[in-house]
Amino acid sequence: MSSLSPEVALSRIYPELRLLLCTVIRNGRVGLDSSNCLRITDLKSGCTSLMPGPSCDRFKIHIPYAGETLKWDIIFNARDPALPPDFIFGEDADFLPEPSELTHLVSWDAGKPECLLLLVKEMLQQYHQYQCQRLRDSSRLLFEYDSLLEDPNYGRSMEIYAGRKNSWTGEFSARFLLKLPVDFSNIPIYLLKDTSLDPGEDVALLSVSFEDAEATQVFPKLYLSPGIEHALGGPSALHIPAFPSGGCLIDYVPQVCQLLTNKVQYVIQGYHKRREYIAAFLSHFGMGVVEYDAVGFTKLTLLLMWKDFCVLVHVVELCSVPVVDLPLYFPRDQPTLTFQSVYHFTSSGQLYSQVQKSYPYSPRWDGNEMAKRAKVYFKGFIPQFQDGAFANGKL
Amino acid sequence: MAASISGYTFSSVCYHSANSNSDHEGFLLGEVRQEETLSISDSHIGSSEFLSVIEVHNHEPCAKLFSFYDYAGNINEEDLNRILKDRRKNVIGWYRFRRNTEQQMSFREQVIHKQLTHILGIPDLVFLLFSFISTANSSTHALEYVLFRPNRKFNQRISLSIPNLGNTSQQEYKVSSVPNTSNNYASVIKEHGAEFFDKDGVMKDIRAIFQVYSALQERVQAVCGEVDQSERVREKIQEEVNKLKDEIALRKRNAAEEERTLQEETNAPVTLPDDSALHDPSQSTLTGAVLSSSPLSEPSLERPVNSSSPQLYNTTLPPDSPNAILLPRPQAVGSPGHPSPGLGLGNGDGSSSDSLNRQATGQEDQEDDDDGDSSEYENLVSEQLQPSSGTEAVSLGRPATLWPDGDAHSPPGS
Repeated sequence: MSSLSPEVALSRIYPELRLLLCTVIRNGRVGLDSSNCLRITDLKSGCTSLMPGPSCDRFKIHIPYAGETLKWDIIFNARDPALPPDFIFGEDADFLPEPSELTHLVSWDAGKPECLLLLVKEMLQQYHQYQCQRLRDSSRLLFEYDSLLEDPNYGRSMEIYAGRKNSWTGEFSARFLLKLPVDFSNIPIYLLKDTSLDPGEDVALLSVSFEDAEATQVFPKLYLSPGIEHALGGPSALHIPAFPSGGCLIDYVPQVCQLLTNKVQYVIQGYHKRREYIAAFLSHFGMGVVEYDAVGFTKLTLLLMWKDFCVLVHVVELCSVPVVDLPLYFPRDQPTLTFQSVYHFTSSGQLYSQVQKSYPYSPRWDGNEMAKRAKVYFKGFIPQFQDGAFANGKL
Repeated sequence: MAASISGYTFSSVCYHSANSNSDHEGFLLGEVRQEETLSISDSHIGSSEFLSVIEVHNHEPCAKLFSFYDYAGNINEEDLNRILKDRRKNVIGWYRFRRNTEQQMSFREQVIHKQLTHILGIPDLVFLLFSFISTANSSTHALEYVLFRPNRKFNQRISLSIPNLGNTSQQEYKVSSVPNTSNNYASVIKEHGAEFFDKDGVMKDIRAIFQVYSALQERVQAVCGEVDQSERVREKIQEEVNKLKDEIALRKRNAAEEERTLQEETNAPVTLPDDSALHDPSQSTLTGAVLSSSPLSEPSLERPVNSSSPQLYNTTLPPDSPNAILLPRPQAVGSPGHPSPGLGLGNGDGSSSDSLNRQATGQEDQEDDDDGDSSEYENLVSEQLQPSSGTEAVSLGRPATLWPDGDAHSPPGS
């Protein structure tokens, strides 16, 4: 079952159905995991082989839901493209939505491009209700669901997938997928854009899998959208705690939410702190500033002169190296100062330099204080650096 | 539950469907009958099973999709009646034809089925799904069909059989039980039927054949009776022959005994047989066999067999006197010297020492096998021809009843 590119898929669809499919393929984001559009595969035709031209009018649609992928068959009839489609719900043979509640089916309008997408969304809502009903096989899991439902922060953004109850062992499993109500809007734009992937919507999803009905085997996992993941420092930037034994979701989910919120705040604060730091250095060193990172405020280069001896000072890696390993821990982590001579070279042809990581520093100082202290340190260290450059470097 | 559809109905549905350039649907007409199967096992406990059989006789195709329901699947009963007309009572299910889809009821089909069940009042309404699957290059096409029983748990599937679709050379050609509702057929039969059918509606030829069959059955039954009677007569005669044989053997042994005794008394140099041979029942049996002149593989005794034996036999045994048979020999039944008729004599416990001893010595008494041996019969006849001996031989009969065990033994060959 290979996935076709949208263009190829559309080219094979019967022309009068293309408008409906176009909306689904290009704009079809449903459910909590809307990072990817809906996919269609297995395009087939309901016409005889004598029908000329593209005549595919039935296909499989892949819908992400609660960490699973639902594969539904959608059946049109090319001879009557105005008629609404029929559905086969794959493995969920017991799922039978109430037709009267599917307004976009009752009032099907093939001329409306988003009609099919809206119908799919309505069916998905009923599917969610169907899955929630199936939680009744386990009182424990039903309790989890009901308790989350009461909380408006989580109740409205929840998807549940209940597995089949094993008639032999009585085992029953379920997965909860929750969208965490964390505000990512203040994350600096540059952090979110610095990714090769289409960032999509900034979202954090918490998946909690219950492998048994008594909640003795619970496996949580946090999914971050690519932009957020990059902004926080990579996939391993955030480690969520294990689900406590005997715990419940209504306690655990807010805990994870708070942890993520703290991390985001830390990143935001770090950005502002760096900006303040750079601004203070600009203020104190004025024309001595050669260049600085005006977007992320992660680097600053100064050209200082002491007794006719010029030296470049690079204040770099206000975020740790490499960026992807750690979050932005400034001002907690001390910036690195690299002194570089403009005259002397090393034997390898590089400018003679020295890196200083320990100098008077406190994360509690504000930017102004840091700039002052840095200035004092420069005055004391540059003579030593000069001596070292003359001794070890060559002109 | 089982289901069957006649070949012509099935092909008609396929024809309509295959010629449709889209999905196609219609109704199945037929009847449901109950079959009772009574099975009897070795435990003689009979059990009956009831089987519902759905028979599809005809179908009513719909002209187009959504012809009797709306977008939400709500059925319009007026449209339904317009399609079915007066055939509504014959509806047993409905069908759908879809190309290149899963063999599973769809959302709308389930909705419609529930309503049809309720509207038509058929609790066990069935649904027949045809799927036409084609490969990508259209080189292979497969028509698959599944009969669903959606109102049962797990959407039960029923096997649908098509009578005579198969190798009819290996199996019997089945006549369809579909009732013929054609008016034309009925009128033709009515007009020309008298030439072929009798007043009861049965074909005349069939009745004639049945009469022949009955006559043959009667003859066979009669022959069976005759065979039975002749077999009984034969059995009776065989029994008499066996008795006579026993009698002869006994008399011969008695004659030999007497002769020996006489010789001993007269102190005549007589070549007597070995004692072990005399006391060995198998040897005495062999002696009897020699006297009866059946061809033996190994004559173990050197006693001369002469034609005077029958005379001795005759003179020593008084006619028709049980006392003469019961010679004063203090020997128990089954002892080696116990005069044996030669074959199969029991030891009172059902065992036969003769047969055992015969096997032990490695010699077979062919008297057992020579039941109808002509030489034995000739001896008997020669004895009987002698005036006194023949009569006495016949009259002396029934030695078997005189044996202490009371059993009448017959040679194994009889």
